[in-house]
Amino acid sequence: MPDVQALVNDFVLKLKRRKIEGSHASARHTAELLRSVISHQRMRQTNQAGALIDAVKAVGEQLIAANPVELAVGNIVRRVLHIIREEDLSSTATAIEGLGLSAGSDDDDEGQYEDRPALSAAALAAAARSTLRAPSLQTLLGDIPGSAVTPQPPSSWGDSEGKSKSADKNLRSRKLKHDVIEAINELIQDIDTCHEQVSEQAVEHIHQNEVILTLGRSRTVKEFLCAAKEKNRSFRVFVAEGAPRYQGHVLAKELVGKGIQTTVITDSAVFAMISRVNMVIVGAHAIMANGGVVAPVGINMVALAAQRHAVPFVVVAGSHKLCPLYPHNSEVLLNDLKSPSDLVDFGEFSDCMDFGSHGGSPLLHVVNPAFDYVPPKLVSLFITDTGGHNPSYMYRLIADYYSADDLVVKQRSTS
Amino acid sequence: MQNEGTSKPQKQKTSKAERRAIQEAQRAAKAAAKEAGGVKPSASSGGAVPALKQGKVAKPSSQRKDGPQVTAPVTSSEKKVVDRLPEKDRKKDVPHPRMQFDDKHRVEKAKRRAVVNQSEARSRVELFRHLPQYIRGTQLPDLESKFFQLDPIHPSVYKVGLQYLSGDISGGNARCIAMLLAFKEAIKDYSTPPEKALVRDLTAKIGSYVSFFIECRPLSISMGNAIKFLKSRIAKLPHTLSESEAKSSLQSDIDRFINEKIVIADKVIVRHAVTKIRDGDVLLTYGSSSVVEMIFLYALELGKHFRVVVVDSRPKLDGQALLCRLVAKGLNCTYTHINAISYIMHEVTRVFLGASSVLSNGTVYSRVGTACVAMAAHAFQVPVLVCCEAYKFHERVQLDSICSNELGDPDVISKVPGWKDLNHLDNWADNENLQLLNLTYDATPSDYVSMIITDYGMLPPTSVPVLVREYRREHLWI
Repeated sequence: MPDVQALVNDFVLKLKRRKIEGSHASARHTAELLRSVISHQRMRQTNQAGALIDAVKAVGEQLIAANPVELAVGNIVRRVLHIIREEDLSSTATAIEGLGLSAGSDDDDEGQYEDRPALSAAALAAAARSTLRAPSLQTLLGDIPGSAVTPQPPSSWGDSEGKSKSADKNLRSRKLKHDVIEAINELIQDIDTCHEQVSEQAVEHIHQNEVILTLGRSRTVKEFLCAAKEKNRSFRVFVAEGAPRYQGHVLAKELVGKGIQTTVITDSAVFAMISRVNMVIVGAHAIMANGGVVAPVGINMVALAAQRHAVPFVVVAGSHKLCPLYPHNSEVLLNDLKSPSDLVDFGEFSDCMDFGSHGGSPLLHVVNPAFDYVPPKLVSLFITDTGGHNPSYMYRLIADYYSADDLVVKQRSTS
Repeated sequence: MQNEGTSKPQKQKTSKAERRAIQEAQRAAKAAAKEAGGVKPSASSGGAVPALKQGKVAKPSSQRKDGPQVTAPVTSSEKKVVDRLPEKDRKKDVPHPRMQFDDKHRVEKAKRRAVVNQSEARSRVELFRHLPQYIRGTQLPDLESKFFQLDPIHPSVYKVGLQYLSGDISGGNARCIAMLLAFKEAIKDYSTPPEKALVRDLTAKIGSYVSFFIECRPLSISMGNAIKFLKSRIAKLPHTLSESEAKSSLQSDIDRFINEKIVIADKVIVRHAVTKIRDGDVLLTYGSSSVVEMIFLYALELGKHFRVVVVDSRPKLDGQALLCRLVAKGLNCTYTHINAISYIMHEVTRVFLGASSVLSNGTVYSRVGTACVAMAAHAFQVPVLVCCEAYKFHERVQLDSICSNELGDPDVISKVPGWKDLNHLDNWADNENLQLLNLTYDATPSDYVSMIITDYGMLPPTSVPVLVREYRREHLWI
């Protein structure tokens, strides 16, 4: 346990100091960390899923608080919680089948389950996935005080039901952890291979003699364009440099290395050039539940220009960037203000500014936001590793990956 | 005998003498009809001066069509010799197309006459093949070394040309004023050579200076209009004046132009614009416009309380100079770069923009990035006010920023000052797949502009062609 805590602290520190940048790296680290947390978790006899969820929530709360703007961290925490719930549910359903219990003999003990028919494991899991269920009475009251809010039929069953064999219980406990860790491994692999999945769709969207515009640098976009180039589609790319980080220069160099005709333009020239562009392809920092996009600064300007000229605005992103939160006042709350020294040298304005007069308050504010919010109506298409989607569809994908109970990752205090 | 001389391509083969003879005949007929006495003494100044524009010389009605165009070195093959009576024939007022740089023949011809050695850039963006793009690094030292060899160019003209080339003077008003003052000096030192007519020779000299300026840096529209004015004044000089009287009259004309069209016009614009500033406003401006700076300082003098947001962009970063001056005067300023425009536009109440020109379809032609700012303001329902003197209006129309623009030095894109380790694009010229594009201007569509503030008042963008048509003829060319 102590070494896991050290790992957690180390990661939290890195997030706070912004040493880990980029959703891909953050997501991967978070998943690996949570895997360690889970594998080190000592499993109780009862309510194991609850214990796992508690542990993950405790760690997750710290991680999210370290860098609230890095939404990928919260996404992965919620994904892991959802995995735990799902694995628990599906293992319960198989246990139901395995034990072969009839509905009648359980009625007196599990009066509160009378509304639940005996479903097959698959149907149960599917039902759980397709609806974000409100907590049932049992979960609200909590059969074990201080437990996390989860539907706990299997474990409490094991409690009140003297029938369950202890061998079964042990098997199930080890199996739960094992299943969860396997699922997390799959998640990590998904995160790693999201670029390939997205790039496979490139050839459907890029035809011959296209002119494509992008801003800054996104690894997903780079792989997307390179995949199209490998299929021998001829196209040209205008790369806007993306001040003040100038990542566009890096992307241009990489694209040219692959043999793609590239032109680097300044960000101010985006409106001028977009009339000659067929498609705008950009990456995202995060996709919100309403289909809005949190993207590197400047992309809202590109989206507005694309709307004016009726140019399709395509956002490519891996599914680990899909966030179940709705963006309220995202310009301020989901934004990072970086150092003004990117724009103005520190000594440059010192002789113009006289702190003696004007009450000593600085007359000059330099604003350097890192992110921009693009509303869903400006986005034509999302291309994720699960395919292409409309912005109005993104909220349905949330049900696939997240549970409603996990929207606020907060450790339920014992009361 | 109206349109003898509408030039069709085959007309260029007729010799100069023949054309001059035709002209003389026409002029004689006109002079007989009008009160102006005397026909021009002799055909003169043969092919000596490279950029003689025929048809501009001494017509009673001012030539409208062949003012020096924005991107064209003046060549003798381009003239349209058109006769026109002033009050009729407004229909023929189509501005003729400027020189396009993908026409190899004309480019070669222009280069042969060029004073500044231009070598074309190697990797040019295909979309902009119709615009000149030259390698920058060698021009300035080359020109500096030739300083004592260039007799035909007056030293003050030469100095201003160097300042254009190095970028020391920028901004429509500054460039125009510098050019006119240089011309004033040149006229002061001018003396008519024997056997030549003052009007024609002076016009030819001015023409040669103009082509020198174009080689240093393509003309801005404000400069083009000022040159049109000057040439029309020269053309209108009465023949009875002595040389010194003519010269002093021209100098006072130039002074009057600068005073009326620029200095006083700016004051009028400022008076109009400060009525649109209320207490508590947050005003946004882009880049550095001289008029907008004057507006802010005047509003500050009047005691209004407001904040200013200065938006800047690469590669020129001219907003920083404006920022320095505003902060020094005690204005509360916010500074940001153009990518953050959506972030900052939430708090902005008004946007004030300057312009290099306003075209006849209401399009505002100004520093690249202005269109993005206007678009973002429009998306957030913030009014956009463009401040532009009336002498900068032009009868040309333009739909997008590609058809006509100015290409700057591409190397400034790859080098970011202060970021030494940003060297991804070093040696970009070696790679044939990579191009850098540095646009100087862009065209803002008229529906993004709420109001244009000129010295004739505050008008909507749709009124610009009215102004061009009704007022310039009478007031500008006087």
